[in-house]
Amino acid sequence: MILLIILLIPIITGLFLLVLRDPATVRIIALTSAIVNLLITLGLIISVPSASYSVNWDNFMGTQFSLGFDGISLIMLLLTNLLFPFIILSGFTRSHVQIPVLNFLILFTQSALIGVFLAQNAFLFYIFWELTLIPVYFILLLWGGENRRAITLKFFIYTLTGSLFLLFGIIFLFQLTPGLHTTDFSAFNQLHIAAHTQTWLFWVLFIAFAIKMPVFPFHTWQPSTYTMASKQGVMILAGVLTKMGIYGALRFLFPIVPQGVIYWQNTVIIMCLIGVVYASVIAFRQTNIKKLIAFSSMAHISLMAAAMFTLNYYSTQGLLFQVISHGVTIVALFYMVHLIQERTSTLELPHMGGLKLAAPNMAILLLIIVLGSIALPLTSGFVGEFLIIMGLAKLSIWFAVFGGTTMILGAVYMLYAYQRIMLGDKNPALAKVKDIRTLDYFILIPLIAIIIILGIFPQPILNLVEVSVNSMQKLLIPANEVVTLFVR
Amino acid sequence: MSALILLTVFGIIVLYLGFANNKALLAPVAITGLVISMILSLKDWGLGSKYFHDMMIIDNFSIAFNVSMLIITILIFLFGINYYRRMEHHVAEQYALMIFALTGAFLMTSFSNLIMLFLGIEILSIPLYILAGGKKTSYRSNEASFKYFLLGSFATAFFLFGIALVYGASATFYLPEIKTYIAQFNGHLPPMVMLGLLFILIGVAFKVAVAPFHFWSPDVYEGSPTLVTAFMATVVKTAGFAAFYRLLGMGLLPLPAPLEKTLWVMTGLSLLVGNLAALNQSNFKRLLAYSAIVHTGFMMLAMLSQHDSSASVLLYYTFVYSLATVPLFIIFIHMKRASKGLEELSIFRGLYKQKPWMAVFMTILLMSLAGIPPTAGFLAKYRVFILSISRGYLAISIFAIVMAIIGIYYYFYVLREAFSESDNPNPIEISKLNAVLIVVCGVAVLLLGIFVFQIPI
Repeated sequence: MILLIILLIPIITGLFLLVLRDPATVRIIALTSAIVNLLITLGLIISVPSASYSVNWDNFMGTQFSLGFDGISLIMLLLTNLLFPFIILSGFTRSHVQIPVLNFLILFTQSALIGVFLAQNAFLFYIFWELTLIPVYFILLLWGGENRRAITLKFFIYTLTGSLFLLFGIIFLFQLTPGLHTTDFSAFNQLHIAAHTQTWLFWVLFIAFAIKMPVFPFHTWQPSTYTMASKQGVMILAGVLTKMGIYGALRFLFPIVPQGVIYWQNTVIIMCLIGVVYASVIAFRQTNIKKLIAFSSMAHISLMAAAMFTLNYYSTQGLLFQVISHGVTIVALFYMVHLIQERTSTLELPHMGGLKLAAPNMAILLLIIVLGSIALPLTSGFVGEFLIIMGLAKLSIWFAVFGGTTMILGAVYMLYAYQRIMLGDKNPALAKVKDIRTLDYFILIPLIAIIIILGIFPQPILNLVEVSVNSMQKLLIPANEVVTLFVR
Repeated sequence: MSALILLTVFGIIVLYLGFANNKALLAPVAITGLVISMILSLKDWGLGSKYFHDMMIIDNFSIAFNVSMLIITILIFLFGINYYRRMEHHVAEQYALMIFALTGAFLMTSFSNLIMLFLGIEILSIPLYILAGGKKTSYRSNEASFKYFLLGSFATAFFLFGIALVYGASATFYLPEIKTYIAQFNGHLPPMVMLGLLFILIGVAFKVAVAPFHFWSPDVYEGSPTLVTAFMATVVKTAGFAAFYRLLGMGLLPLPAPLEKTLWVMTGLSLLVGNLAALNQSNFKRLLAYSAIVHTGFMMLAMLSQHDSSASVLLYYTFVYSLATVPLFIIFIHMKRASKGLEELSIFRGLYKQKPWMAVFMTILLMSLAGIPPTAGFLAKYRVFILSISRGYLAISIFAIVMAIIGIYYYFYVLREAFSESDNPNPIEISKLNAVLIVVCGVAVLLLGIFVFQIPI
C-alpha cells in the first residue's frame, strides 16, 4: 500500500494543480508534495524491509498491477524522489504563465518514473516506461529553446523506436512462459531460453535501454535535446531519465538473458568505452557549456554502462553508487549552467571569463560541483568511479585504462571550461553580473552537501545495494559456467 | 433479425420525415432507431439464430460487430446535428442513406452464403456512392463519388465473377459446404476454384482498402463531405473486416498456400504503402486516409494470425480505431471552418493557445491511433502483436513494429502543429454537444486502455 501511495502522490497533486491559478500556491503545493514523497521514501528505506502491492488487471493477458522493490529499485526510487524537490524548486525563479501545467507535467513525470522503478510486471513496466515520455515530450515542446519542434520530434521517435523493440521482446517472452501466459518478471526470470535465441533477444531488449542511456552509436538524439531543453527539462532528462536505461537493463538483461549478456559482454563494453573516449574528446572541443556538460554526462553514463557489463562485484556496486552520485552532480551542474546563462545571457565560452570577480560565491560553488564531476577524492564521484574502474581492471587492464580516461579527460575539459568561465581578467561585459541569490543556495548547498557527504561516508548507499549486488552475482554464475562448458 | 428490419423501417421513416421540413426532428428519430435496434440486437446474444435457409446466421460475432457499428453510427449522427445545421436541403436523405448503408453492413456481418455477402456489400456501397457526392455543387465531391462508383463497381464485378467461378466448381453458395469442397483437395485446388477465390478476396480487399487495392481511398476520403468520410473510414471498414473474417473463418480457411502468401504480401504492402504515402501528406483528410490503410494492415495481421481470440482482437481494434478517428474528423471540421475552408495540417496551429482542452483530447486521440500507452490504441496493437508473435510470425511482426514507429512521426507531426503558435489565429467555435462528445470519446479511449476486458465471440 505504501508503494501505491508513493506512486500516486505526485500525479494526484499534479491533477489538483491544474485547477489552481495562483503561481505561488501552485509551486508551494508541488514542492510540498515532492518533499513529502521524499520523506515517505526515506521512511520506506529505513524501516520497511519489504512491501508489495498487487491487484489483478485482467485474466487473459497475464498482466498484473503489481508493485514491489529490491535494492536496485530502492536506489532508483531514492534518486528520483531526491531530485524532484530540487527540480521543482528550480522553477521558482521563472515567471511563466503556465506554471500549473508545467508543474503538473513535472509531477506526472515523477509518478511515471516511480512506476517504472516499482513495477514487477513487464507489461506494467512498459506502460510506465512510455508514460514518462509523454510529459517530457510536452515539457520539451512547450518550454524548450531554439529549434525545439524538430528536436523534440527526433527525441520522441528515437526513444520510441527502442521501446517498440522492447515491446516485441516482452511479447516474445510472454508467449514463452509456461501454462497460462504471464508477463510477471518472476516468471520471466525462470525461463530457460535457448542460447542462440538469447544472442538475438539480447539486442531486441537492449536497444531500448541503449538509446535511453545513451550508449555510443545510439546517442545522436542526446546533445541537441539537452542543449535545447529548458532548465527543468534537462535536469529531468540528465538526472533521472538516463538512469531508467540502466535500471531497465539491470531488470531485463541479467536475469532473463544471462547467456546473451555473457556472449555480447566484450562487444558492449568496447562500445561503451568508445563512447567514453569519444564523448570526452568532443566535450573538450565544445564552446557551448551546455553541450559540453551534455557530452560529459554521456561520457560518465557510458562508463556506468561499461561497469554494468563488467559483471563483477566491485563494478556493480560502483555502478549503483554512481547512479545516485551522477544524478545529483549532473543536476547541480545543469542548474549552475542555467544560472550562468540567466546572469550572463550567453552559453558560449568565448564570451565569458572573469566571472569570478563579479560573482565570487558562484565561482566557489561551481568549483566544488566541477570537482565532484571529475571524481576528486572525498567527493561522491570518486567512490563510484573508483569502484567501477577497479572492476574493469579485474576484467582487463586495457578496459580500465580506457575507462580511466573519463577521469583524466574529464578533468581536462571541465577545468579548462571552469577556467574560461570564471577565471581571467576583468570582463567589462560581465562586470555587473549579480551573485547568487538565496533561492540558489537552497538548491545548490543541499546538492553539494550530498556530493561531499557521500564522498566521505559512502557506506549507507553501499549497504543498501549489497543484497541486490550479491543476488545479481549469483544469477550470473550459472550462466558463466554454462558458457565455459559450451566453449570447451 | 428484428434489429435489421427495424433499422430498415426507421431508415424509411427518416426519409419521409424529410417532407416535414423540420431538420431538428431528424437526428433524434434516427438515433432512437439505432438505439432500439441496438437493444434488439443485444437480446439475441447467445442465441445463434438462423434465417432464410441458413443464408444468415446471427451469432455472437455478428451481434458484437453490429453493436460496435451502431455505437459509432450514433456517434456520427450526434455530430451530424451540428454538421448538417448549415445544410438546407436533403438532410433527411443523408441520415436515411447512412442507415441503409448500415443495414448492408449488418448483412455483411451475418452472412453464411456468398449471395448474402454480395447483397450486403452492394447495399452498403450504393448509398455510399450517393453520400460521397453529397455536396452537389462541389467539384471534388462529385469526383469522389464518380471515382468511388467506377472503381467500386469494377471490384464488384470481380467479386461476382469470383462467386460464379466458385459456384461453377462446387455447385454451392453456402460457405460450410464450400469449405468441405475445398478441403477434399488438400491444398491443391483446381485453377478455376483458385481463380474464383482470388477474385472473391480481391473484391473484399477493395472494400476494406488493402494495398494494392487502396488507390480509391485517399481521393474519395478527401473529396467526400467530412462526416461521410468519417462514416466510410470507420463503419464501412469495420463491416468490411467483419465480412472478411467471416469469409475466411467460415469458408476459406485453411487457405491454399499461394492465396495465403498473397494475403500476407497485401498486409505488408498496406503497412508500407500507407506509411510512406502518409509521411508527406499536407492534407489532413488524405493523411487520415493513408493512416487508415496502415491500420488496415494491422487488422489484416490480427485476422491472418488465426487464433481463438482473433475475432475479439479484430473487434477491439476496429472499435478503438473508429472511436479515435471519428472525433478527429470532427475536430478537423471545426478547424477547417475556423480557417475558412483550408484542409492543410497547418490549420491546427494555435489550437493549444485557443482551446487547451481540445488540444489535450486531440493528443489522446492521436496517441491512440499511434499506439502509445495508456490509450486503447496501444492495447489494441499490443493484442495484435501478441497474436502474431505467439503464432510465430516473427518477421512480419518486427516489420509491423517498424511501421508503427514510422506512424508516430506523422501523428506527432499533426500534434506538433496543434501545440505551436499561430501567426493569425482564427476563433474556433464549437457547440456544447460536440465538445462533450469529443471529451467522452477521449475519456473512453483512455478508459478502454486502462480497464482491459475481452468479449467472448
